[in-house]
Amino acid sequence: MLSRVAESLFWMSRYFERAENTARFLDVNFNLMLDLNSITDVDHPNYWKPLIMVMSNLDNFNAHYQEYNVHTVTDYLVFNRQNTSSILSSISMARENARSIIESISSEMWEQVNNLYHFLQSVTPQQVHTDPYSFYKEIKNASHLFQGITDNTFSRNEGWDFVQIGKYLERADNAARLIDVKYHMLMPKRGQHLDLVKDSVDIIQWMAVLKSCSALEAFRKVYLSKIDPDNILRFLILDRTFPRSITFSICAAQEALWRISGSSLHRYVNNVDRLIGKTDAELSYTTVEDIFHKGVHEFLEEIEHGLIRIGEQLHLLYFAYHTPKIEPLDVSEALPFTGVAGGRANWSQSQQQQQQ
Amino acid sequence: MTRLFDNYDALPDRFFDEVISRDDTPRVHYEKMMRRFTQLSPEDIRARRELVNIFFRNQGITFTVYGVEEGIERIFPFDLIPRIIPLPEWEVIERGLIQRITALNEFLSDIYQGQKILKDRIIPPELVLGSKHFRREFVGVKPPLGVYIHVTGSDLIRDGAGRYLVLEDNLRTPSGVSYMLQNRQAMKKAFPVLFDQYKVRPVDGYPQQLLKTLQEISPTLKPEPKVVVLTPGIYNSAYFEHSYLAQQMGVQLTEGRDLVVNNNKVYTRTTRGLQRVDVIYRRVDDDFIDPLVFRPDSKLGVAGLINAYRKGNVALANAIGTGVADDKVIYSFVPDIIRYYLNEDPILDNVETWLASNPMHLKHILANLETLVVKAANESGGYGMLVGPESTAAEREKFAEKIVANPRNYIAQPTISLSRHPSFFNDNEIAACHIDLRPYVLYGKSPSIVPGGLTRVALKRGSLVVNSSQGGGSKDTWVIDI
Repeated sequence: MLSRVAESLFWMSRYFERAENTARFLDVNFNLMLDLNSITDVDHPNYWKPLIMVMSNLDNFNAHYQEYNVHTVTDYLVFNRQNTSSILSSISMARENARSIIESISSEMWEQVNNLYHFLQSVTPQQVHTDPYSFYKEIKNASHLFQGITDNTFSRNEGWDFVQIGKYLERADNAARLIDVKYHMLMPKRGQHLDLVKDSVDIIQWMAVLKSCSALEAFRKVYLSKIDPDNILRFLILDRTFPRSITFSICAAQEALWRISGSSLHRYVNNVDRLIGKTDAELSYTTVEDIFHKGVHEFLEEIEHGLIRIGEQLHLLYFAYHTPKIEPLDVSEALPFTGVAGGRANWSQSQQQQQQ
Repeated sequence: MTRLFDNYDALPDRFFDEVISRDDTPRVHYEKMMRRFTQLSPEDIRARRELVNIFFRNQGITFTVYGVEEGIERIFPFDLIPRIIPLPEWEVIERGLIQRITALNEFLSDIYQGQKILKDRIIPPELVLGSKHFRREFVGVKPPLGVYIHVTGSDLIRDGAGRYLVLEDNLRTPSGVSYMLQNRQAMKKAFPVLFDQYKVRPVDGYPQQLLKTLQEISPTLKPEPKVVVLTPGIYNSAYFEHSYLAQQMGVQLTEGRDLVVNNNKVYTRTTRGLQRVDVIYRRVDDDFIDPLVFRPDSKLGVAGLINAYRKGNVALANAIGTGVADDKVIYSFVPDIIRYYLNEDPILDNVETWLASNPMHLKHILANLETLVVKAANESGGYGMLVGPESTAAEREKFAEKIVANPRNYIAQPTISLSRHPSFFNDNEIAACHIDLRPYVLYGKSPSIVPGGLTRVALKRGSLVVNSSQGGGSKDTWVIDI
C-alpha cells in the first residue's frame, strides 16, 4: 500500500473519531446542564471550560472568545475553523483525506464522509442552539454509520488496519484526556472522595463522564449502581471488554499493528510495536489502586505521552517518504503529520492547477 | 408536437439543428426521445434533475473553480436531454478518427526519428522544430510499439450543413472521459424507460480497454505489468477523473511524491518498501514531469523519471513531446499528413485555417478579423482567443498587434456556427444550444474507440464556447443501432 494512502486512511479515521467524541462530549455536557439547572449555577465557567481543556487548548480559545458559556464553547468546538479540532475542521480534514484516496476506499465510505460534510455546511449555529440533541445525534449516527459501512465494504487488508489504528489511538487519547480533566475537577484531593461523591451534583457529573464515553449502561451491568470514582476509573481505563475504555482501545490498535508487521506477544519487530506493547503491558498489570498511588493525573499523562510517541514512530515507520537523503533522524525534523489538508498537499497547489 | 417543444427555436435555416431537420420535422432517431420528454411534467423533470444532481454530488463529481476561495467545488452542469447519433453516422466518425490518429502517430514517429516529412518539404521545418512542444531531447528515443499517443480526445463540430469537422486534436492529456462514463450512469438512473426504448451502445468498457492499452505498452515482459496513474494532486481540476479512472482500472493513483527513481527504474513508495512500476498513465504535463530535465521548480514530478523512460525501463502514456502534433499550426497540415503517410484522402475534414506565419494568410486575417476566430497556437480551454463577431473594434486592434508581433503563435478560422441541440434552461423551458463532440481514441497495439464520447454544450444563451471553464456543460451521448 502506498505510504501516502496509508497515512490518509489513518487520518481520515482519526478525524472522524475526533468529531464523534467532540459531539458526544458537547451533547452530554448540554444535558448535564439541564439536570443541574435547579441545584446549582450552571452559568459558571467551570462547567464549560473543561471541554476546551479536553478537546483543544485554552490559549487558542481565549484568543477568540471572552468567556466560557454554552454559546462560545459550542461555537468554538463545532464551527470554528481556527480550531483544528472543531467538528467542522475535523470533518473537512477527514473529507480532504478521503478525497485524496477516493479510489482506495469504497464509494459508500466516500459518500458517507461527503454527506456529513455537506450536512455540516448546511447547519447554522442557531439550529444547534435550538435543537442540540438532534444535531449531535446526527453527528454520532453519521460516525457510527461510517464505521459500519467501513466494516462492511472495505477489504480486510492493510488499509483497514490503518483505519483501526487511527480510530483507536484517537479514542484512547480522547478518553485519557476526558478522565484527566474531569477527575481533576471533581476530585481535588485524595482522601475526600467518599464524602464528595455523596453529593448529588458530583454523582450526576460522574454519570455524565460515563455517558460521554457511552459507558453508563455497560458500567451498570458490571458495577450495578455503585457510581463511585474507583469503579469508574477501573472501568474507563482498565476494562478489557468495553470498546471505549483505554485498555480496549490500546489492545485493538495493537492487534492492527501486529497484523501489519507480523509482531506477536513479547516479540516486536519495530519501534511502534515496542512502544504500544509497553503501554499495553503497563495497563494490563495495573490496578486502580496503583493508579491512585501514582496519581491519576500522572498516570494518564504518561498514557497520553505514550500515545504521542506511538503516533510519531508510526509516522516514521510507515508514512514518511523514505529517500536516503531526506530520511529524518529525529521526529522534529520529519514532515508535519496531519494527513493531507494541513500537511504536504497544498504546498504545490498552484502547480497542480496549472496542469492541462 | 406538444408542449415542451412548442416554443423550441430551432432556426434550421441558420443552424444545423441535431433534432429538427430543415423541413421543420423531427429527425427519425429523435422521435422517441421527443415523445418521452413531452410526456413528462415540469415536476417530473425537476425530480429527475434532483436525482441526477444528488448522484453527481454524492459521487464527488465536481470540478474546482480556480481563483475562488477554498471549498468552491461545482457540479459540472449536466443537461438531461441526450444527444443521439445513429450508427451509420458514427461509423464514419470512427473510421475518420482512426485514420487521423494513425497518421498523427506516424507523424510523431517520423518527427522524432528521421524527419522525412520535413526533408520532403510537406511542412516547413521551422514550424515543427520551433514549436513550443517539440522536445529536442527525445529525438531518437523510440517508445514501446512505436506508439506516442495512447489516449486522445479530438474535438469534433458540425457546420451549417451538418458535416463533421475536426476542430482540434488533443494529444497530450485530454480530460473529460470520466464525465462520459458518469453521464451514462446518471441517464440510466433518471430515464430508464427512455433508455430502454433505444438500443444504446455501451461505453462502460472504457476503463478495461484503457488498462489493456496501458499494459500493452509495458516495456517489461510480465504477465501483469504494474500500471499506475500519475495525478498532479487533489487541487487539479480534473482530480476526480484521475481517481475515478484509477479506481475503475483497479490500479494505484499516485502523486509525484509517491514515486521514486533508483538506478533508472521507477518504484512506488509503500508501507512495505519500494515496488517496481512498469507503465505510468500520467496526467501531469511534460514541463512538470521531471525537475531534472524540464522545469526545475516542479513539485509535481519525479526526479529521474525521464532517464528511466529513455532507458526503456518504464512506459509513459502519452509519450513525451506529443504536443508538437496538436499545435494549432501543425493542425492545419493534418490533411497533408494523412495523405503523406497513408496515401488516403482524409475522411474527416479540418476547419479551414489561416496561419499568421504565412504572409498571404496574415493579410487575409488582418483584413477579416471581424468574421474570424483567432486562436493562440498553444493555448487550450478557450483561453487566449478572439471571437471576431463578438469583439469590439478596440479589442480587434489590440489583438492585431499581438498577431503581428508573434505571427507563429496565431491561427485564424472562420466563425463556424456549431450545430445546435435542445437543452434545458430551467425545468420547463428548452432552448437550442451549441454543442460539440469529443470521442476518445485508445491506441496500444491498434487504435480503438468507445462508441460515444463527451458532448459539451454551451449553456449560456447564444454562446459558442463549450469549455467547462467558460460556463459549458455536458450531455450523455448515445450511439444507437437503427
